[in-house]
Amino acid sequence: MSEGFTHDAWAEAVRDGRLLGATCRDCGATVGAPAAACPHCGARALAVRDLPTRGTVYTETTIEVPPAGVEERGYQVAVVDLGDTRVLGRLDDEAVTIGDDVVLAGFLDDDQGNPAPRFEAV
Amino acid sequence: MARAAVVGAGMTTFGVHDTPLQELFAAAALEALEDAGVETTDVEALYFGNAMGGQAENETHLGPTAASHVGLAGIPVQRYEDACATSANAFKNAVQAVDAGIHDVVLVGGVERCTPETGKDTAAMTRIFASASHRQYEQPAGLTFPGVFALLTKRHMHEYGTTEEQLAHVAVKNHGNGALNPRAHFGRETSVEEVLDSPVVADPFRLMDCCPFSDGASAVVVVADDLADSHDAPVDVAGVAQATGVVPIADKATPHVTQAARDAAAEAYEQAGARADAMDFAEVHDCFTGAEVLASEALGLVEDGRGGVAAADGRTARDGDVPINPSGGLKAKGHPIGATGTAQIVELAEHLRGEAGERQIADAERAVAHNLGGDAATTVVSVMEARP
Repeated sequence: MSEGFTHDAWAEAVRDGRLLGATCRDCGATVGAPAAACPHCGARALAVRDLPTRGTVYTETTIEVPPAGVEERGYQVAVVDLGDTRVLGRLDDEAVTIGDDVVLAGFLDDDQGNPAPRFEAV
Repeated sequence: MARAAVVGAGMTTFGVHDTPLQELFAAAALEALEDAGVETTDVEALYFGNAMGGQAENETHLGPTAASHVGLAGIPVQRYEDACATSANAFKNAVQAVDAGIHDVVLVGGVERCTPETGKDTAAMTRIFASASHRQYEQPAGLTFPGVFALLTKRHMHEYGTTEEQLAHVAVKNHGNGALNPRAHFGRETSVEEVLDSPVVADPFRLMDCCPFSDGASAVVVVADDLADSHDAPVDVAGVAQATGVVPIADKATPHVTQAARDAAAEAYEQAGARADAMDFAEVHDCFTGAEVLASEALGLVEDGRGGVAAADGRTARDGDVPINPSGGLKAKGHPIGATGTAQIVELAEHLRGEAGERQIADAERAVAHNLGGDAATTVVSVMEARP
């Protein structure tokens, strides 16, 4: 149920090496980020489920000018296609391009303790 | 009948202004009122935009401060924050209020200071700008705003073969236009070679693919249709519409189509009773060169996938068949976040009045403005026409 699809649940899963998503029981869309209702049709009947942790790069960029609070530069941010849905994550020292296979490989915490999924090339 | 009319327009130069926000806003607001021949006592409401004053300058609740400074205390003032679409959303709400008969005469405008010279450094502002991306599902990965549009543009390049050289042509064209705009932040031309030699910010974007951090303000006076003819140079607002896309980027059905822009454009064109091919020119939100390519397609000005080719072939130049950003766009004119939306309306009004000087689009009678916020999840599209 949607009550279970919170940021806390998602973040706990990421720290545990899993990706949580939700499939809309009405329109069938799957989302990769917690929501109280389906962003595509508005239905509140969301079934939380584990997403695949392996996918292909849908799009990516290498950030050379980072925001304050991020010490590194030259890291990649990618949107990863997991089949039914996509999720955004971070890659370090990977140099992947669109279509490359990647797999979930941990996470990083930002300066306020929010985790981001970390992927690496397969 | 038009939904409303713009009867006065004003804006500061975009660039560096070591001036408090209310004083910067006043420079544009008073110019707009004088241009309209409207006294402050005639103004019934202020629709005010400022996106990041709280984070950049420790200033919030700016509506009454701005209103008091220009002699408008007493009337209703509302302040908008929709990232880079801030003052276009103020404009939309103003037009709706006038069209609905709630007010007859309103002032709309925005102000922002983003330059390192007058505020925070590049790293700090990059973080503040990134606050418009998703706090939990995008910011922790280190995503920046050049990165947001890089993700959209890279997929477009993959799907359609759009090239970095084509993107560079957008910058070259907009710098050329900006060189003719006395209020532009960058008043010099550039070349494809210079763009491609500049340092990478977030690939495929190099420094010269990115708009600058700017300070500036803009404002317009909006009046009811039946009052427009009592002013010297009214310009009709034929349509204005806003749509919202899904966030975060990963949950958008197809990120690079910028669906909110397509939805807003369809509604604005319908209100105006005109199609994309009836637009004599466009001002679009080219925060990055790739964003102009996506916007040109979303507005229906060029075919899907052909935005980069159109720029490289000169179709979007001032003398092309679909002129885009004669002002120089955000790229060369500059991008003081909260002032950008109404600055596009100022540019449309000047061309439709035939007062745009060297950069005038000849015989312009109808034009479209496209102002987006965040990852394009907020987009406002406005259609304006010379008054018959």
